[in-house]
Amino acid sequence: MHSTSPPPASDGPVVHRAQESVDPPGENPAGLMNRPSIRGAAWVAACLVLGTLAATRLPATEGDAFFREQVEPLLARHCYPCHSHDAGKMKSGLTLDSRRGWATGGDRGPAIVPSDVDGSRLIRAVRHTDPELRMPKERLSDAEVAILEDWVRRGAPDPRAPLRERKEEVGWALQPLVAPRIPAGTPHPIDAFLQEKLTQQGLAPAATADRRTLIRRLSYDLTGLPPTPEEADAFAADPDPHTYDRLVDRLLASPRHGEHWARHWLDAVHYADTHGNDHDYARPNAWPYRDYVIQAFNEDLPYPRFVQQQIAGDVLFPDDPRAVTALGFLAAGPWDETLMVGVREDTVDHRMAQVLDRDDMVTTVMSTFQSQTVHCARCHNHKFDPISQRDYYALQAVFAGVDRADRPFDDDPATYQRRRDLLARRKAIERRSPELLASLTTPEVLDQVARAEEREARRNELWSALDVVSVTSASGADTAFVRQADGSWLVSGARPERDTFIITARTSERDVRALRLEALPDPSLPGGGPGRYDPAGNFHLTEFRASAQPSTGEGIAAQRIEFSRATATHGDGGDVVANAIDGRPDTYWSIHPRYGEPHEAVFEFKDPIDHPGGTTFVLRLEHEGKPAHQLGRFRLSCGTGRLPPHDRPPLPSETRALLRTPPSQRSPADTQQIALNLLRTEVDEALRALPAPRQVYAVTQDFPAQGSFKPASTPRPIHLLIRGDVNRPGEAVGPAALDCLPDLSGTLDLRGGSVEEESVRRAALARWLTDPRNMLTWRSIVNRVWYWHFGRGLSDTPNDFGLMGSPPTHPELLDWLAVWFRDDARGSLKALHRLIVTSEAYRRSSDSSAEVLEADPENRLLARSHRRRLSAEQLRDSLLQASGRLDLTLGGPAVVQFIAHGKATFMPDGGAPPLMDYENFPPAARENQRRAVYRFQFRTVPDPLLDALGAPDGGSLTPVRSVSTTAVQAFALLNNPFVIHECGCIADRAGDVRQAFRLLLLREPSPRELERLTIYSQRHGLANTVQLLINSNEFMHLE
Amino acid sequence: MNPPMPSMIARRGFLGRLSTGLGGIALAMLGSPARTDPAPPQFRPRAKRIIQLFMNGGASQCDLFDYKPALIARHGQRFDPGNGQRVEASISTPGAVMRSPFEWAQHGQCGRWVSSALPHLARHVDDMAFLMAMQSSSNVHGPAAYLQTTGFLLPGFPCAGAWVSYALGSLSDDVPAFVVLPDARGLPYNGRSAFTSGFLPANHQGTVVHGGSPRPITHLEPPPDATHITPASRCEGLDLLRELNAEHANAHPGDSQLTARLQSYELAARLQLAAPGLLDVDSESPTTRRAYGLDQPQTADFGRRCLLARRMAERGVRFIQVWSGHGGAAGNWDNHTDIPTELGAAARSMDQPAAALLADLKQRGLLEDTLLVWTTEFGRMPFSQGSTGRDHNGGTFVSWLAGAGIRPGTAHGQSDEWSWKTASGATTTYDFHATLLHLLGLDHEQVTFRHSGIDRRLTDVHGQVIREVLS
Repeated sequence: MHSTSPPPASDGPVVHRAQESVDPPGENPAGLMNRPSIRGAAWVAACLVLGTLAATRLPATEGDAFFREQVEPLLARHCYPCHSHDAGKMKSGLTLDSRRGWATGGDRGPAIVPSDVDGSRLIRAVRHTDPELRMPKERLSDAEVAILEDWVRRGAPDPRAPLRERKEEVGWALQPLVAPRIPAGTPHPIDAFLQEKLTQQGLAPAATADRRTLIRRLSYDLTGLPPTPEEADAFAADPDPHTYDRLVDRLLASPRHGEHWARHWLDAVHYADTHGNDHDYARPNAWPYRDYVIQAFNEDLPYPRFVQQQIAGDVLFPDDPRAVTALGFLAAGPWDETLMVGVREDTVDHRMAQVLDRDDMVTTVMSTFQSQTVHCARCHNHKFDPISQRDYYALQAVFAGVDRADRPFDDDPATYQRRRDLLARRKAIERRSPELLASLTTPEVLDQVARAEEREARRNELWSALDVVSVTSASGADTAFVRQADGSWLVSGARPERDTFIITARTSERDVRALRLEALPDPSLPGGGPGRYDPAGNFHLTEFRASAQPSTGEGIAAQRIEFSRATATHGDGGDVVANAIDGRPDTYWSIHPRYGEPHEAVFEFKDPIDHPGGTTFVLRLEHEGKPAHQLGRFRLSCGTGRLPPHDRPPLPSETRALLRTPPSQRSPADTQQIALNLLRTEVDEALRALPAPRQVYAVTQDFPAQGSFKPASTPRPIHLLIRGDVNRPGEAVGPAALDCLPDLSGTLDLRGGSVEEESVRRAALARWLTDPRNMLTWRSIVNRVWYWHFGRGLSDTPNDFGLMGSPPTHPELLDWLAVWFRDDARGSLKALHRLIVTSEAYRRSSDSSAEVLEADPENRLLARSHRRRLSAEQLRDSLLQASGRLDLTLGGPAVVQFIAHGKATFMPDGGAPPLMDYENFPPAARENQRRAVYRFQFRTVPDPLLDALGAPDGGSLTPVRSVSTTAVQAFALLNNPFVIHECGCIADRAGDVRQAFRLLLLREPSPRELERLTIYSQRHGLANTVQLLINSNEFMHLE
Repeated sequence: MNPPMPSMIARRGFLGRLSTGLGGIALAMLGSPARTDPAPPQFRPRAKRIIQLFMNGGASQCDLFDYKPALIARHGQRFDPGNGQRVEASISTPGAVMRSPFEWAQHGQCGRWVSSALPHLARHVDDMAFLMAMQSSSNVHGPAAYLQTTGFLLPGFPCAGAWVSYALGSLSDDVPAFVVLPDARGLPYNGRSAFTSGFLPANHQGTVVHGGSPRPITHLEPPPDATHITPASRCEGLDLLRELNAEHANAHPGDSQLTARLQSYELAARLQLAAPGLLDVDSESPTTRRAYGLDQPQTADFGRRCLLARRMAERGVRFIQVWSGHGGAAGNWDNHTDIPTELGAAARSMDQPAAALLADLKQRGLLEDTLLVWTTEFGRMPFSQGSTGRDHNGGTFVSWLAGAGIRPGTAHGQSDEWSWKTASGATTTYDFHATLLHLLGLDHEQVTFRHSGIDRRLTDVHGQVIREVLS
């Protein structure tokens, strides 16, 4: 498979990399210069560098000769069988067939330290003196050991060419992409390439399929749905030779096209609506990505843009809100909630989970867009393809700044723009960006600080104290409430487990808009208060309720006050004051850990309260959560229409604390911090004022921390992991792409951005992937599309174009298509579909002569069409279409087609296993009428009908579906409640055997078929007859 | 993956070429993959079939089999393994050393220690071989359960039963090769992906049988409200379907796919006929039913499923997996809160039925060629979580094997003085799976399937057969 000698210089696309090249300059002849023009420049550069290197290099030494004559034969005989690319083995991750192999070493570290005989593991191993390390099993002779020792002592001269420079190392997919000449004789390019091979084999292709077969094949292929019998009749009868082309155009223009082809794509990227793994929580915002794919295909988004948006749509298409939803691609796969959130951050399990989370992103990107098995290089250099472990971790570094989480986006471009600006400002605030800090010393800002100061000083004047009539404890405990001089109330005496304070208070103010609750410290309270919890002084206000009635209005019922929002000086983590108006007793407001400070909460009303004779409030301060967490000292006041809305919320505690220092004693840093805090409050207010954004489950750097799952403000450092072990970090690795493409360096062009910005990394990779010189991208997609049309690929391994993958049956055709798609079709997938389905090869009959069957049983030469079984979704959607029940609503949230025991998360008791009952879900339910692509796809508990028919579960990338035939499928088509229900509906709609037959098989039954089916129908009913038909091979297959 | 590529077929090596003949396809189409040309094993198989009892949640080795006087002596003291070793618990702060609330005694000729939580199994220790130092590289249910079922920490890989089905098929045409019996209360962690065929052909997926349910196998029967479907409508319908399909196949010669579908209906019919016999525990004698604990509420579910496992073993199922406990926070072996009550209850539901199964297999001579294994995804910590619970511990745990090819009354490996980590004879899941395949006559390095650029195996790139416990 590989040669150990340098390749002939005139042969093939060998890329010499300056930093690695150790070849004598004599091997760089002028003949290399006659290459495609793009590469010419690179070659000049390489030659120049080589020239420079050559000047400092020694000629072939005695050491090299010693190696070739004495050492290499020993290594080849005794070591290569387990440690070489030729053998396909690298036990313990070690290869000995190149200098890099032994210098990098395997799991145990470098195998050889030049000149250090005793310090070289290879020597220790061959000496057989270390019981832990004896290689090979049969000890070498003393003379042989001595040769190796001698070699290491001389500094281990090793003239072997680096592996990457060997031609054989570079498989077909990494050869430069050049459009081959189209063979003459056939008008359609695809047919021309195919015909060439058929002619060589002396095989005659099958005839074109009949019209009914064609329309059925094409409709299912382009839209996932069959034609109606009427459409089939009309098409069969249309004499116009261009009717086929018109049909192609019509089907490609149908919204059903995007739905069907999105399903292919979602398979490939292992999309589902749950996280997977042990808890398998729902992922309710995954679907906007699914809709993105459908829309992209329907609108024929050019492929390069489709790729770029899925990697870095947020960065490269900042003005397109939809580009954010494309990022669902990177998050489509499973995510281990327990490991990422629940397990402690400092554990090996959690750290490994982060590595594997990025591994999924790298694998998804490189399998989907490059058809490369880069993931094979996580633990060691790729065994077969020129991908190093370093390449792999460099790709991990691209995604080192993002995590999977819900990411907000706005459909409305203006809102989107505004939010984006505000979020950028908030990020700058959080990062204390130097530019921002510098901007905070302007007079305007200082003036703002002064105004805030003044407002804060006058704050108590703006609020009008309530006249408290009574305070009682609802628990009936012997709790004392004592009014203080400042109008606050101090609580003492009994402190029951749980309690609600009921306060009656009056005000003479008109137009009341808000209530203010101050929680005040007091030396008599534990920890100085303001709560009574011992020892910290905490309180948990589970709910704040208020009702109001006119003070004058005897007999008028009190009216419950509805709040529009609640704000406070501080809320602990998720325990914000909004929890006190959410109606839930299990959430609360807490000021932890800011004890001993004054706090306040402001509750604003939905509607103002205005009673000419004054208002009487009844307030309930509920402490019904954790035991003994009650307020210790509080004061109440109200705000009116005179208080402008933006002045109602209190300043955050940090800002207030800073403002307590008199301006004269404040440091510039303090002033800056105050300004920063004010700015943050302002930005937060502005963000809150925007309409609520929608959410898409995607990758993001900005999400609320939860348990061990925390956003990275800058990309996490990535190290090469020896043997893939998180406990054995090697060198630090920065972001880069693959380094094995002939015309495109793996170095990412950051376009001047900082490598510390994660978005810069993704954007650079997105551009690298879509670079016209990246031949993998174009080869990959045309092969993928070909596979989905024919049920077989030109290469049968769409995710693996490496040496272990399946080489293309028609490499010239693949390359021609790739270049045509990139240059002529400009990445239009619809153009590619049209090109493929208008070929003769696509339109052939699936039947052929015995001669063809014998000569090419696998149909690799495409003398006929592949017969294909309907996919799970095609079957399901067809039944609905035939029954007339198909609901063609486009897009929207995933449709739940099972009975979910439990809440929206499908997690009863917050911890029991997901219980999804598919069997008892009413088959007639409206939810069942949507196309299968919209179903809620549960990773670990798949729909038994679709599962039986081979729909993937989203556990792993599925570029190609398994289409094995099983008894389980027979059971599903015979006994599934939905199938049975639809058969009944189809029977009702059809009315008789002949109509049912036409509806499903799009043709007239033969007299004999009709006779037998009619007899059966008379005995057992039309529903049973319909079910018989949908079980038939004719219905279940596309000819 | 389909269609199989020539290179893949070659890679199956000893399994021989996939039969492309019609008969071969019919039989390879699972649910029920009996092979007409059974794969010539590389060496003499000791076991024809495997019954796996899987304790879902992480059964506590230091409360069941791994007796440690140090835990009793230092109960309540701070846990300090010495040498400055870091103590890491997955979801909690490490607590104090905790002795088992159960009593310990030695049992059998071999003198194996078993706690009072398992009085029935304790009587059979002379038939078992213990792996006393199992290790898991994960301390978290999802990945650890995947590791134990599929050999990989991530989803998407085929489980052991699917590999066995792929390599050997079923012993009979009338039953599936791989059957799973989940807890009546729900599926284990990772749901159905615990029984998945992953990237192997779908026909190697585990057939799920809900033991006590009125509809034990999905799609085996039409729903009860489909009254228009009668035995006669089915029978005549399938006859007519066969005719129509045969005519269609004749009109399109040379496509084995079409013939395969024809035969899949016949296979389905055979499975349907065989199912009642497979599932009928009522025909068992009252003595047997009592022995398995079918008469007591706490043991009835697991007992019924153990009894079903024996019936399936008799009828040719190759790999039978019986789960104890379901996913989620309770009702399994994941005893974070209270070892005495939670583990006690889990042990009581499993102990008598498992012991009865072992005795029954032995008495019927089935143990000669049946391998019975008892496994879990990881163990538990020797120190407390909260007051009387224990957190996850992948450092060391216990599994045992009995039956075909096993040297009875033995043990391999030891944990440290705490039962915290392994001390000697550490056994990985890879070793464990390699041993299972070995006993079936398969070399774990040779059972491979090409997927996404790699020749995948159950044991990844690891695995040593544990010869110490083989007879």
